[in-house]
Amino acid sequence: MITLKINGLPVTVDKGATLLEAIRFLGFHVPTLCHMEGLSPMGACRLCVVEIGNGNNNKLVSSCTYPAQEGLNVRTSSTRVMNARKMIIELLLATAPQSKTIQDIAAKYDVRRQRFRQRYESCILCGLCVRMCEEQMMAKAIGFRGRGDRRSIGTPFDSKSEKCRLCGGCLYVCPACELRCTYTEPDKAVCGGCANLSPPCLINYDDVMCYMDPCVACELPKE
Amino acid sequence: MSKLQSINEFKALQGEQVTLRETDVPTIVIPAGTCGQASGANDLMRIAKRELLYKQLTDYIKLRITGCHGYCELEPSVLIEPYGTFYPKVTIDNMARIVGAVHKGEVLTDLLYTDPDTGERIEKQNDIPFFKNQMRSLLSRNEIIDPIRILDYIGAGGYSSFVKVLEEGNPRQVIEEIKASGLRGRGGAGFPTGRKWEFLANQKNGQTKYLVCNADEGDPGAYMDRSLLEGNPHSIIEGMLIGAYAAGATDGIIYVRNEYPLAIKHLIIAIRRVYDLGLLGENILGSGFSFNLDIAKGAGAFVCGEETALIKSIEGKMGEPRQRPPFPVERGINGKPTAINNVETWANIPVIIEHGAKKFEETGTANNSGTKIFSLVGKIQNTGLVEVPMGMTLKEIIFGIGGGSPGRGKIKAVQTGGPSGGCIPVANFPLPIDYDSLAQAGSIMGSGGMIVMDEHTCMVDVAKYYTRFLKDESCGKCFTCREGIQRMYELLDDISNGNATPDTLDLLKELALVIKDTTMCGLGQTAANPVLSTIKYFNNEYREHIYDKRCRSYVCKDLTGAPCHSACPLGTEAWRYVAHIARGEYEKAYRAIRETNPFPSVCARVCSHQCEEVCRAGLGGGEPVAIRALKRFVTDTIDPSSYKPVRKYDNGRPQKIAVVGSGPAGLTAAHYLSLKGYKVTVFEKEEQPGGMLSSGIPEYRLPRETLKKEIGSLIDENIDLKCNKAIGYDFTIDDVFERGYEAVFLAMGAHKSKLLDIEGEDLDGVYPAIEFLKSFNLRGQSLAKGRVGVIGGGDSAVDAARVSLREESVDSVTMLYRRSRSEMPALRHEIDAAIEEGVELVTMVSPVRIHSENGKLAGVDVVKNKPGDVDASGRKKPVPVPGSEYFIQFDTLIVTIGDTPDVEYIASMGIEVSKWGTLKIDETTLMTNRPGVFAGGDVVTGPNTVVDAIAHGKKAAVMIDRYVNGRELKQPEARRIPSVYVPPLEVTGEDAEDQENKRIELPTIPVYERKRSLAEVELTLMEEQALYEARRCLRCDLEFTSERIDV
Repeated sequence: MITLKINGLPVTVDKGATLLEAIRFLGFHVPTLCHMEGLSPMGACRLCVVEIGNGNNNKLVSSCTYPAQEGLNVRTSSTRVMNARKMIIELLLATAPQSKTIQDIAAKYDVRRQRFRQRYESCILCGLCVRMCEEQMMAKAIGFRGRGDRRSIGTPFDSKSEKCRLCGGCLYVCPACELRCTYTEPDKAVCGGCANLSPPCLINYDDVMCYMDPCVACELPKE
Repeated sequence: MSKLQSINEFKALQGEQVTLRETDVPTIVIPAGTCGQASGANDLMRIAKRELLYKQLTDYIKLRITGCHGYCELEPSVLIEPYGTFYPKVTIDNMARIVGAVHKGEVLTDLLYTDPDTGERIEKQNDIPFFKNQMRSLLSRNEIIDPIRILDYIGAGGYSSFVKVLEEGNPRQVIEEIKASGLRGRGGAGFPTGRKWEFLANQKNGQTKYLVCNADEGDPGAYMDRSLLEGNPHSIIEGMLIGAYAAGATDGIIYVRNEYPLAIKHLIIAIRRVYDLGLLGENILGSGFSFNLDIAKGAGAFVCGEETALIKSIEGKMGEPRQRPPFPVERGINGKPTAINNVETWANIPVIIEHGAKKFEETGTANNSGTKIFSLVGKIQNTGLVEVPMGMTLKEIIFGIGGGSPGRGKIKAVQTGGPSGGCIPVANFPLPIDYDSLAQAGSIMGSGGMIVMDEHTCMVDVAKYYTRFLKDESCGKCFTCREGIQRMYELLDDISNGNATPDTLDLLKELALVIKDTTMCGLGQTAANPVLSTIKYFNNEYREHIYDKRCRSYVCKDLTGAPCHSACPLGTEAWRYVAHIARGEYEKAYRAIRETNPFPSVCARVCSHQCEEVCRAGLGGGEPVAIRALKRFVTDTIDPSSYKPVRKYDNGRPQKIAVVGSGPAGLTAAHYLSLKGYKVTVFEKEEQPGGMLSSGIPEYRLPRETLKKEIGSLIDENIDLKCNKAIGYDFTIDDVFERGYEAVFLAMGAHKSKLLDIEGEDLDGVYPAIEFLKSFNLRGQSLAKGRVGVIGGGDSAVDAARVSLREESVDSVTMLYRRSRSEMPALRHEIDAAIEEGVELVTMVSPVRIHSENGKLAGVDVVKNKPGDVDASGRKKPVPVPGSEYFIQFDTLIVTIGDTPDVEYIASMGIEVSKWGTLKIDETTLMTNRPGVFAGGDVVTGPNTVVDAIAHGKKAAVMIDRYVNGRELKQPEARRIPSVYVPPLEVTGEDAEDQENKRIELPTIPVYERKRSLAEVELTLMEEQALYEARRCLRCDLEFTSERIDV
């Protein structure tokens, strides 16, 4: 058994558990896109980054892949984490602005602008479909191809796969193509209609002070 | 060769080989690594073999083919052992001569290396500055062995470190030894090697343990690992054997990229021979220790240099990094414990064991022991691999060993550590190099690439280049790395093509920091370094790109257009008139010149031609188009009347404007103001107009007739020229305003000579350059006589020297300059011409005192200088050599160390003066602190070029016009992009191949006709010459003017 601290609270988990499992065990919220229970963790979307370590040795790691370690100090909502997460969301929005899933996350994190050019990609290469196909459907019909900006998902040489049973598992897990938000002006696809308030505590503290979901604008005593 | 069964058998074999080596038979060593072979080492090998066989010299001369020795710039080279004679850049013909000379025991002096600083020939390799300042503990071993002959290696002491370890039989002791040496991983991250091995040794996870040699060297411009693999593969195998013995590893893998065919070949041969000898395999030398070694070839993905991706690649999977922990040393290849070290790390191991940890630890600095190999490439004289102790400064490496810049361009920065590294500006070159200092400076050691950049390199473009590389080479698994780098590239592209807004830079920085923070592996975590470090150190270049839409290095195409065009202070479309000349349309060419330049004939003779400095035909070893000579051809061919300036009288009342000074700046301003209908009065202090054009520039460069004609063509009915009117003596600025002038343009020039500040400058026979040139040019007086000395190296020094030669009673002329000839600021062809005419040039000397005899000049004492430290301008500071003083006799001494404006009287008129004695102005408007008073030309800049003065005059006319009409003065700078389409000539395939593409030599009158004559030295090009030269133009403009055809 391993004992570690998350946002100051101690938690004990089995050896081999990931940080994300420990965090969710305590009920803290960490957004994820490429993570799904039952599939091996991949660490592709980087949304689940958390801050670990003390003092000058702090660093951000993806909680879905990082193993829980004895005595580790984890912060899930520090300023550094929140800034990084917002930038990641902004990048995700620029890549696939029409994804309802991504838009919801954006609204939740109060990301209301896009400073990058929009691309309208239908895939963010989170790899859920690849892992679904391989690990749950035992088919390995699709996989990653290429690297860098030419990375894509598909069958070898784009020919029809004999392994594919058209089960639709890949479509089911996809965060980019499921539930398209049909906004009439794709350029302004951040509709923010379902937006929450952003946590006001970050103005005064280096950590989010409570973990109510959705965040209630708490009444901090005015100084 | 049979398998060695015991340590004693090995020792017997080694003893035999060592004796074989110890002969005094001379050996010809030919380095034939990839670099050597590419420059012709294979031919040298053939010639050498043929010579040795034909002349039956095989018993008297040995031949050894080795890997690279490091001095790639001078390949193919030949080294003669045991004497150490070094012949650089050997040709096929010379190879035969060298073989003959070695047989006779001679040295071919004419083929030896020439020191660029002193001009002396240097025989021994170890006396050459490039080698002398290095500490080549690894690279020097490349010289002594033939990489495909294992016995060569054994004879040179190879494998004795491994056998020593085996004999001692204490693996823990080996680990302690490596730990004590302080060796840190040479792959870049710098993790202590001994500790890594200790972790591996402590792993209890099963029987199999792996050692990996990481030879996936993918940084652009870095090739030290390749050199070691090619030149000394056994040292890596020996290092791995020692490591395996120490850490209890059973299997080894050398992961090498497929792009290194020669390295792979040498490795395969080496491994096979080591197995044959029984130094690899089961029960090595009967010790019971077993180790197997194999090669895995990578397909060249940059990310596979990352250790977890490398492991995946060895396993046969897609090369993608994974989360650490677990670290490879716990779970690596196939889940087994694995320790991965870089090629250079492995090569260091036998050296440490041989000489002891203490010796290694003493080299370098605290916590950074040993030597490091850097590959020094880019804009550097001595390209090659250099091995230096850690803690040497960048300055020592780049200027001391590297020899500084290869051309006239000043070194601006160095990029270390490849795409994950950063750029360090020249101001930080005193930085000692080690893992920690580089990280602090925002870069990394990386594998040791050092790419030197000069002022022709745009730092935004550099950041863009590396970002593009990483965009392609990121594995693509982490969203922030894949998408983030693509977006960084997008933003950098916006900046380099002028589409950026001030927000772009902030967004870029914000994004870069997030990428650094949130990616999984080292590639992504360092991917932002090139961007962040260039933003940190070269923020002004970014700002110029964003705010002024200007690229100072003329690299970013969309901001530069044609470099000749954007570099010209006047914005002359040089490409346009050159294109017209090529088509034979000389009148059109003249109009293109005259549209922007009121002094075409003057500039055709004396312009400092910035256009030629940046001409793309002149980059990369070529020669720039002779643009000024072409301009001369057009202005001499076409009658100026073919251009009628456009007059635009759009302001109702004819206001009066005063211009002080009738030099190029003043006359240009007057001309353009007149075209707009202003009544301009020009006040000139001398008897005739022209300023420095007539008083400073001698007649043999600029004939008075030409000058008079050009000035005459500018003075029209709106311009009233008043000579013999000096400001401060005859009138003041207040007078001018009182008389109803609405604005004043001050362009008096810089006519006061600076002094040397040594005793005796007031002697008879000692003249400041300005006084000397003015007396001759304006009044025809010859002040020089007998032996003339000229102190200085600028344009007016050369002018003074050449004028002296033309004076009646002059016997000889000597120029004294404190730096080397290549550092003289004067135009190069002027220096050449002066020497041609008989001026003696003495460089690297400074005057110390002036001697007199009976109140008259007798001569000067000068002291010799040696090149010292590099100063802020990137040049080596001249340092006096004590005791080297000597006397030179002179009858006349001309001091030309610079001029300043004579502005004491102007300060009293309420105009601010800078500490350099020039007038202070607002750069963007040319206005002084007094409203309505503008200033330009030398009085603002100090002594400067004609073309810059004309540019100021043009700008002043625009500003004064706006000022008088009460409009906003500040104007955004317009981008200069070619907009007129001039069809290119068709070049047929054969013509294109025939073209030698040599720059035309400027025609001049013969030297014997120049003595005592003021005839113009330079001649006009012949028509065929002009056509030939104009056709050499690369036509950078076409990319912007012709319809783009997508292929």
